[in-house]
Amino acid sequence: MKRGGLQGYIIKRLIYAALIAFGVVTITFILLRVGPTSPADKYLANISARTQDPSQVIAAVEARYGLDKPIYQQYFDYLVNMARGDWGWSFSTSLPVMKLIQRHWVYSFQLILLSMLFSASLGILIGIYSAVKQYTKTDYLATFFSFIGISIPNFWLGIMLILLFSVQLGWFKTYYDTGLPMFSLANLKALILPVITLGTGMMAGYTRYARSATLDNLRKEFVKTARAKGLPERVVIGKHVFRNAILPIITIIMFDLSGVVFGGAYLTEIIFGIPGLGRISFNAIFANDYPVVVTITLIGAMVVLLTNLATDIVYTWLDPRIRYD
Amino acid sequence: MKGLIIFLISLLVFMVGCAAPVPTPAPTPAPAPKLYPEVKGSFIEGVSGGDAETLNWILAADATSFSYAGQTFDSLATYDNDWNVILRHLAKPVEVSEDGLTYTIIIRDDLKWSDGIKVTAEDYVYTLKNLMFSDWLNYTYQTDWQEEVNGETVFVEPEVVNETTFTIKRQTIDPEFIDNAIYSLTPYPKHIASKYEGDVKAFTEAEEFNNLTYTGNLGPYRFKEWIRNDKYVVERNPDYYLGQDTGAPYFEQYTTKLLGTSVAALAALEAGDIHYTGIEPEQVAKFKQMEGIKVYTVPTRAYDLIVYNLRNNGWEGLKQKKVRQALSMSIDKQTFIDAIRFGFADPAFSFIPKPSPWYTEEGVSKFGLGPLYDKEKAKQLLFEAGYGIKEPDGTIVVRDKDGKPIKLTLVTTTGSKLTEDITLFVKQELGDIGIEVDFKLVPWPTQLRQYMMNKVLGSDQEPRYNNGPDAVSEEPWDMMVLAFNTHPIAPSGSRVFFITDGGLNFWGYSNERVDELFLKVRSKEALDEEVRKKMYAEISQIIAEDQPANFLSFPRSNHGFQANVEGIDPGMRLGWNYHEWYFAEP
Amino acid sequence: MKQISSKLGGLRNLIFIGTLLVLILILLLDIYLVDDQILGPMEYFYLFFAILVILYGIYPLYVNRRLTKYYWERTKRHRLSVFGLIFIVFLVAVAFIGPFLTQDPTEVDFQEKSLPPVAFSIEQSVYDLKSDQFLTTETPGTWQHPLGTDDKGRDMLAMLVSGARVSLQVGLLAVLIAIFIGTIIGVLSAYLGGWADMALMRFTDIMMTFPFFLLLVFIIFIFGPRLIFIILAIGLTGWTGTARLVRSEALSLRTREFIMASKSLGASDGRIIFRHLIPNVLSSIIVIATLSIPGVILAEAALSFIGLGDPTVTSWGRVLHAGQRSLDTAWWVAVEPGIMLFLTVLAFNFLGDGIRDAFDPRSQL
Repeated sequence: MKRGGLQGYIIKRLIYAALIAFGVVTITFILLRVGPTSPADKYLANISARTQDPSQVIAAVEARYGLDKPIYQQYFDYLVNMARGDWGWSFSTSLPVMKLIQRHWVYSFQLILLSMLFSASLGILIGIYSAVKQYTKTDYLATFFSFIGISIPNFWLGIMLILLFSVQLGWFKTYYDTGLPMFSLANLKALILPVITLGTGMMAGYTRYARSATLDNLRKEFVKTARAKGLPERVVIGKHVFRNAILPIITIIMFDLSGVVFGGAYLTEIIFGIPGLGRISFNAIFANDYPVVVTITLIGAMVVLLTNLATDIVYTWLDPRIRYD
Repeated sequence: MKGLIIFLISLLVFMVGCAAPVPTPAPTPAPAPKLYPEVKGSFIEGVSGGDAETLNWILAADATSFSYAGQTFDSLATYDNDWNVILRHLAKPVEVSEDGLTYTIIIRDDLKWSDGIKVTAEDYVYTLKNLMFSDWLNYTYQTDWQEEVNGETVFVEPEVVNETTFTIKRQTIDPEFIDNAIYSLTPYPKHIASKYEGDVKAFTEAEEFNNLTYTGNLGPYRFKEWIRNDKYVVERNPDYYLGQDTGAPYFEQYTTKLLGTSVAALAALEAGDIHYTGIEPEQVAKFKQMEGIKVYTVPTRAYDLIVYNLRNNGWEGLKQKKVRQALSMSIDKQTFIDAIRFGFADPAFSFIPKPSPWYTEEGVSKFGLGPLYDKEKAKQLLFEAGYGIKEPDGTIVVRDKDGKPIKLTLVTTTGSKLTEDITLFVKQELGDIGIEVDFKLVPWPTQLRQYMMNKVLGSDQEPRYNNGPDAVSEEPWDMMVLAFNTHPIAPSGSRVFFITDGGLNFWGYSNERVDELFLKVRSKEALDEEVRKKMYAEISQIIAEDQPANFLSFPRSNHGFQANVEGIDPGMRLGWNYHEWYFAEP
Repeated sequence: MKQISSKLGGLRNLIFIGTLLVLILILLLDIYLVDDQILGPMEYFYLFFAILVILYGIYPLYVNRRLTKYYWERTKRHRLSVFGLIFIVFLVAVAFIGPFLTQDPTEVDFQEKSLPPVAFSIEQSVYDLKSDQFLTTETPGTWQHPLGTDDKGRDMLAMLVSGARVSLQVGLLAVLIAIFIGTIIGVLSAYLGGWADMALMRFTDIMMTFPFFLLLVFIIFIFGPRLIFIILAIGLTGWTGTARLVRSEALSLRTREFIMASKSLGASDGRIIFRHLIPNVLSSIIVIATLSIPGVILAEAALSFIGLGDPTVTSWGRVLHAGQRSLDTAWWVAVEPGIMLFLTVLAFNFLGDGIRDAFDPRSQL
């Protein structure tokens, strides 16, 4: 594998990622403008005893946030500002967008990280074990439970967990306390229920992929060879099979990332009262807070693109057969 | 002589000495009664609604923003549960001139901004003239400070008199101006705000205003931190001007915690993780029976109603008073209250709420209740209005003029369980008299834009909430479920809905006498409270008789507190003295 | 007759077009002559789809006995997937016949609200303002509402049946849309190659990097929460997986000999695509379809849960959304639709897994 080849490949991919990001931003902007809703809507809603002319109100509010300019002007301004590091002002939370994200991404991050660790490790272990003991009762049981995990609507599960463990049994607090220091045991404890809620859905996928990847590899020649060599089963599985199986598993985990963040994590955050990016982004949508929506979509896209790139690089490193031309 | 006196005094002393109690185990003397509660604890209020938008209140449109910011500064005055005026920043009650046109406002002289500079009348006048009236900021509630003079809309005239006094001059009389506008006035510091004058962006992003660093001793608490979508925390302000003698407020900290769903909020209250939250009607029974929770049921100033479309694009039958009365007669208010509000409401027949001093029941037709809830009578009325056929056996079948069954469109806002319930209830009730109800559930902005804003067809007018009697909305509709607020002390604000050219009279109601009365209510003779009361009574009677809308109920709200929170004064204005709440001794 | 039928590609196609014309005729009559429509647009679509499936799906299976038997044997081994299939068939039956047998799910009756299911009994309290007291009564379930009622008195059984219909509708339509778009893009991309391939794939990449649920909420929020938009939105955002898969399969097929042979025989592009490419990727498409359905159903439920569902449609998600407020006073309103969702998703997952294993030549079943 040529050094220059890899570098060139990375650069190509980065440029490509930038183009995609560009496309994402453009589509978001267009969608935002096409819709009939506007951030001025909540000002219109104040009709208890106020009589200001609605069109005047809309005009004034939009002027206040620079939304009266034509869409291409806004787009251009946004890109220029972004380059300068100014990502806009969130008018539904009165903070600079960057600051908003800075303050809240940690909560999402710790939830997702812990959930992934939990579900990935459990899932992979169960998957491999299941594959090794294929067609036994354990295999069926494990498969069955992973199906259950993937099928339970996770928002429903979250509410049930709160009812049982927080209200009835009182083992956990009913909402997440942001005052707890991040690396404390208390914080970890508070995250147990959310992690279980988010993790069970993810776990099933990992179990199945681990199982099928392991199965694939178990059939291969090198396994027979290793066994013939007299290596203990543990080593065969742990060292050889695992190393080969891990690649596809990692790919799947990486691909899942953005889906998890903006799908399951949002619902979990809402139910458990965790002020993470998921909640922020959805509230921004409901408030027509354009700058936040565009920025977070962009970040989501970048996360996906970069993790894909990282995955590919990891692939190369782990599998010397792949080359990059 | 002297000897006798000394002897008598000695005798007295001796007797007193003898009368000294025999040393029996004396009861432990009671500790000197504490005058004021101890400061302790961190109070947590749980809410399941949305977060505030900004602490820079002049830019906000949502109530949450005002209430957050309002914890750090009081207004000029407030009301207690009996609607007595309680002075806050006002040093004395507002003086009104003989002719009712000049208001003199005198503020306390012990108010200071955070940097030590004194709060003066200059700050107030600056906030009014340069900020609230300005067109670069476009404050949402400007109309509170405007008046119609010779067909033009102008602002009232504030003017500084001295350091603690300023006047506001009007050209038209409005006896309710004080309650509507003056009492809720809060100032921005002139010396800081003038730095951003004219620059909306800078003002919006101003550090001082977004972090409430200027509030000094103006309120019971000081800003501590605000984690969006999570919690808003304020800490006790030891300099609070009202707390100098009493030690108020009695919490070290007040946190407003946002819980995503009402389920979570109630679970938190039950588990003891928060101290206060609102309780849904269906949960009240459960919480009232809990040992450690106290539930207070208080009236509110909101009311729900079903508005009839009196414009040209509604069902023509609605233009007849008889028909509207018939429809209102078919809807059972008591069942509505029992079944949908679980009993937590008072039936409404007019827009003035029960606790208001201007409330009256005399002479007000109570449609939907008692004798005026009569489906047979309703059918009779419809028949008389020409919307029914009499069968040979005497029963009336309700039909439209073309012989087909009547189909009405009911518009409701999505996302509110309550309005959905009302919609379905109305459908059921009207179905019983043979009228089919089709409902349209739309998001609020759509409802505003397509059903409430109107313009004359074919013209190029800008759609407004009231473009005259010939204007119609974009989409046709017949009934709409809504909820309004009335200021109990200053109900004349509701004129915008009921007078012919009222700015929010989107449904096209028009009654000359009502127009007249609402005008009179803001005239010189109405300065006499008895006269005003009679006027409001007449307005209520006419509107109840006319039934331009079916007023449904004045709901009561339920507030749940942990049992150890004391000092609460339950009433319509439950939180008016929240700085006096405290945790009782364990 | 023979000439016409051979021009259209066989008798089967003739029958298909014939029935289609009859259907359209009925549709036109319905709209213009009869006052109240006899069948709604959805019913027409189902009939059309049913005819399609029968002619092009079931009939070939019937004719190719041996192939069918082979697939069936493999699927049968997977016991779980058989359970899944049985449940789905049951659900479809319920969705079709159910609405005729149950009460109207939108009929409210506030006198009968919050009744528990038949085997349970619950305490209910109404507050009397005047006496500041609660009147508590013990209310048992009745056979009139075997699964209970919600807080407005709507029958739970009826709502669950209606919800089954909605979920199947959403699942079917959204997945069809997604697959349709995905297949077209994938096949075009593979077949046309060159810059068309590049452009289409870049576009697919862009759509793929959009966080799915966020985009969904976005679209629904802007355009309004109506069922048709929800179906469209899910379909329009979920085609990327199919496109990629179809493209890669098509690419690999393209170089296969039988394609080249067809080409050299003078077959047109369209013919190659329709008669050769698509049938070969069909098995993968079916697997993807079956496995996408649970995700789609859950997406609709999640949307309803956060309040963006169609308020005029009784779906399981909407009942759940309303029910979560009264989890302790009327637990069945939240639990029942939750269970239905769970079982349905589970069934589709089992079935999809079974089909995938059945079609996958490498797995030894």
